[in-house]
Amino acid sequence: MTEFSWHENVALNRQSVSRRRFLYGASAIAAAGAVNFRDVMSVQADELRKQGRAMILLFMQGGPSQFETFDPKPGTENGGPTTAISTAASGIQIAEGWEKTAQQMKDIAIIRSMTTKEGEHLRAAYQMHTGYIPSGSVKHPSLGSCIAKELAVTDRELPSVVTIGDRGANGSGAGFLGVDYEPFQISGRNVGTVPDNVGPIVGEKRFTRRQGLLDKLEGEFAARGGETVVNNHRRIYDKSAKLVLSPMTKTFDLSLETAETKERYGNSEFGKGCLLARRLVEAGVTFVEVRLNGWDSHKDVFDGVKGLASKCDPALSALITDLKDRGLFDKTLIMWTGEFGRTPKINPNTGRDHWPRNFNTLLAGGGIQGGQVIGETAKDGMGIVNDPVNIPDLFSTICTSLEVNPAKENMSPIGRPLKIVDGGQPVAKLFS
Amino acid sequence: MIRPGIHVAFVFLQIAAFAVFSVAEEKPQSKSVSSKDVASEVDRQILAELQKAGVTVAARCSDEDFLRRVSLDITGQLPSPSDVIAFRQNNDPDKRAALIDKLADSSEFGLNWARYWRDVIYFRATEQRSRFNQEEFTDWMAEQWNKGTGWNSTVTAMLTASGNVEEHPETALIFAQGAIAEEVAAEACRVFLGIQLQCANCHDHPSDIWKREQFHQLTAYFPRMAERRMNAGMPEYEIVSVNTESKQGDFMRENPEMFIRAFDRDNDLKLSKKELEAGPKRLGRRIAATMKEGKNDEMQNEGMKDEKIGAGRLPAKAIERLFAFGDTNKDDLLTVEEIKAAQPPVNRRRGSTEHHMVDLKNPNSLGAIVDPKFFVSGETLPRGQTDEERRMAVAKSFTSSENPWFARAIVNRVWAEMLGEGFYMPVDDIGPTREARYPAVLDLICQNFIANGLNPKWLVRTIANTEAYQRKIQSRPASENELPFASATPVPLRSDVVFNSLAQVFGVTEDEMSGRTVRAADKKEKKDKPRAFLQSPRFLFDALFGIDPSVPKDDVMGNIPQSLMMMNSRVFRARMSAGRNTQLSKILGEHRDNRDALRELYLLVLAREPSTEEVKICSDYIAEVKDRPEAFEDMMWSLLNSSEFVSRR
Repeated sequence: MTEFSWHENVALNRQSVSRRRFLYGASAIAAAGAVNFRDVMSVQADELRKQGRAMILLFMQGGPSQFETFDPKPGTENGGPTTAISTAASGIQIAEGWEKTAQQMKDIAIIRSMTTKEGEHLRAAYQMHTGYIPSGSVKHPSLGSCIAKELAVTDRELPSVVTIGDRGANGSGAGFLGVDYEPFQISGRNVGTVPDNVGPIVGEKRFTRRQGLLDKLEGEFAARGGETVVNNHRRIYDKSAKLVLSPMTKTFDLSLETAETKERYGNSEFGKGCLLARRLVEAGVTFVEVRLNGWDSHKDVFDGVKGLASKCDPALSALITDLKDRGLFDKTLIMWTGEFGRTPKINPNTGRDHWPRNFNTLLAGGGIQGGQVIGETAKDGMGIVNDPVNIPDLFSTICTSLEVNPAKENMSPIGRPLKIVDGGQPVAKLFS
Repeated sequence: MIRPGIHVAFVFLQIAAFAVFSVAEEKPQSKSVSSKDVASEVDRQILAELQKAGVTVAARCSDEDFLRRVSLDITGQLPSPSDVIAFRQNNDPDKRAALIDKLADSSEFGLNWARYWRDVIYFRATEQRSRFNQEEFTDWMAEQWNKGTGWNSTVTAMLTASGNVEEHPETALIFAQGAIAEEVAAEACRVFLGIQLQCANCHDHPSDIWKREQFHQLTAYFPRMAERRMNAGMPEYEIVSVNTESKQGDFMRENPEMFIRAFDRDNDLKLSKKELEAGPKRLGRRIAATMKEGKNDEMQNEGMKDEKIGAGRLPAKAIERLFAFGDTNKDDLLTVEEIKAAQPPVNRRRGSTEHHMVDLKNPNSLGAIVDPKFFVSGETLPRGQTDEERRMAVAKSFTSSENPWFARAIVNRVWAEMLGEGFYMPVDDIGPTREARYPAVLDLICQNFIANGLNPKWLVRTIANTEAYQRKIQSRPASENELPFASATPVPLRSDVVFNSLAQVFGVTEDEMSGRTVRAADKKEKKDKPRAFLQSPRFLFDALFGIDPSVPKDDVMGNIPQSLMMMNSRVFRARMSAGRNTQLSKILGEHRDNRDALRELYLLVLAREPSTEEVKICSDYIAEVKDRPEAFEDMMWSLLNSSEFVSRR
């Protein structure tokens, strides 16, 4: 742990920087133009985020096979041709294709005993994002939005929740928590550039001038009885304009990263998404989700996962390395998961079907003790032998890591209080 | 106290209402009690209460404001500049009522409200695929509202719907909830009765009188529906009735004793793998014999016949799975207890013929069978009825004139949508323990609504004709306890209405809102493509601007992605350009004088004339910018980005 102490000291010092001083500092930096962008962001990170805690969810949409990822069963009928490789953590083996992740295993905990009852993608994805099963009567907020509500500092330029990737996962919205915690979505093809509509297309000068005109013209409607509406509208427009004019929008621009860095993350869309996630967390964003589609391998699971692993493996590994280098690893929780697992039996199409009874999830950073495996599955992969972890347990664990009270209640629109996590126990071993 | 004169009038209206009630079914368009008469009685009562409470009542809104308000509310369309001028110049004292009639008779009326209902239903969809039939549903609902179909018939159609979801879009609410009994029951109750019963799914309602059992009794009307995918290629779905026990798994869990007996060759009341693999014993005779002996009362009551059991040979995979998860003590034998305790199969959501209320102490078990009973009236239905019988019965109970919540829910909803605030708020949480403001007014409208065949068009027309609807806007009173309806409330417009307004201001068709010029050939090709609407500009706009219409308007606020789009969209920027073939370039070309051009711009975007103050601000701005086209682009941008453009005033 000695390698982090320097960063921790720095972080402590940063916390004493006042908001006012920071603002002054930032504008001074901008004026001087001498300090590079990353320095600006690093200063902001802790200023803008309480305790500096954040989470990055790597969501493997479709349900990854546990056998071809982190619970291989080589030499068994159900295990198929997938072989296992050793990792930096002695005694822990994972599937081939994850060589870079294997090197980081001392910092990663594997939960092999995840279990749920939802075996349908949309319902399961909803549960994995909200902790609740879908219900028509209430739109549950995602855990990410709940965390942002607890941790994010309001009145800031960047949104507190960002999702990266196409096809929004079911349940990843803010639900009844409302627009303040609604994720800012970046579609896959836009990763790396400043998102649509964020740049002031008419130039900053004219944009500011227009804003001034708009503000004056709003006066009429306010005077005629629309005051409340005008004030709310102004609030949102001010926030939006702040974002448009902010140097922080450069956070979205990956051209500021070196070719070497991009290479380390793998030059895939997902790799870029992970690199962007790191930049966003550095800049003070509380919750970032990066999605990777294509895990629904009913056919040709072995080839399919090989392709996906080749994108995921370098990105995950580089993300951990970079967060550690920046002293953000201990305060940033990374979770790698899908909505469920895949059948132990290999089907006639050399695929695996939906299997919610046992699947695997990775946790790293955020105070999680790496280099260990939670739970064990049967030799043939048919079920959990010990230490089952359900989604409320997993979510309680996340809350422990981020120092969020899982029993905190949010009021739904019909006046029904809903806990951030309903039931569940944190997995104690992960913090020992 | 209500003054005598008013009271007499009220009684008269009630009598009139009941007098036409008997003929209402044959003549649903009956106007014996006109919208205007009911409207003025509503106003008398509201005014009396406001005066009694000493609340200052806002004046009538201007013709300009009324025209925009009523056009947006009834048709979802912005009035054109020439509409504004013509309406102002019209001297007919009844011009507002005439305008209301004209708007309510246009086809946009049904479409506008159908889109409202589309949002009510799909915003809470738990089955995400249900978006497939939303366009068909919108068309169907539009037709009902335009035809004046009674709301009771419309709701009956929606509760009893089945078939291909695109051919039968009235399946919308059921499809949106994946035909899951609990969800459909909860949503039907929330949407059509305004009552939130679903909290009672897991426990007695914390803040209401509902018991857990009542929710499950309502759910018991719906267990025989199922959603089914019809083909392997392009996904198509249908809602079907499942009236027979088709699943071995369900039979096994519901009748574990019978199940064991069917396979138990060594008569030890336990099942081995071998016994299961060997298949059932000669089932028919055994079961018949058991039933004769009266050993299983429950089965006799259910009228269970042996062919329904269908305890055939189980596939090897199923046997393996059954043992893997059922055989808890790993003795390679399954007992009745083990089967009972076994978890229901994953996604056990369809195909059970009776509803079971889960025993909370043993949440993995199936629980006891609950029979249908309607919580408002106490009507019941015997066990074993078909899906069709159950859903017809529940539709009858829902829509019965004996059920006051049915009319109240929709009257309150439509009123709240048009006035920004309802008698009850929120609109989907009314019910006996909630307190209505002006309860007598609500019931007065309900009675006359029923007398007019529950025709939604009558309802919208009546509300639009009230003075309560036509008042000037004012910011919310500071106190929540203050009586509502003393003034109009400015509220955000729904996504479709903003979209229509934008298309109208830009002078483009819906498809052209994408920023591309759409040729006739593309249009045809697009139409032939199934579910093309999923890529349509309206749909994409709705993804960003959509709001749940059941949420109180006070809680609705814009968000950053929305304002970013309005501010910086390249498409919008091009449509606001003074240099191209746009509405703005036309205005600037036709009006050399800046004031005239400004007036046209205001009429186009906000459907009103600019005030003296606004003229001054804009003139100063033009002088400051020193570039006429650029200044006008900025003014148009400001008006489109104003809160007024996206609000009802």
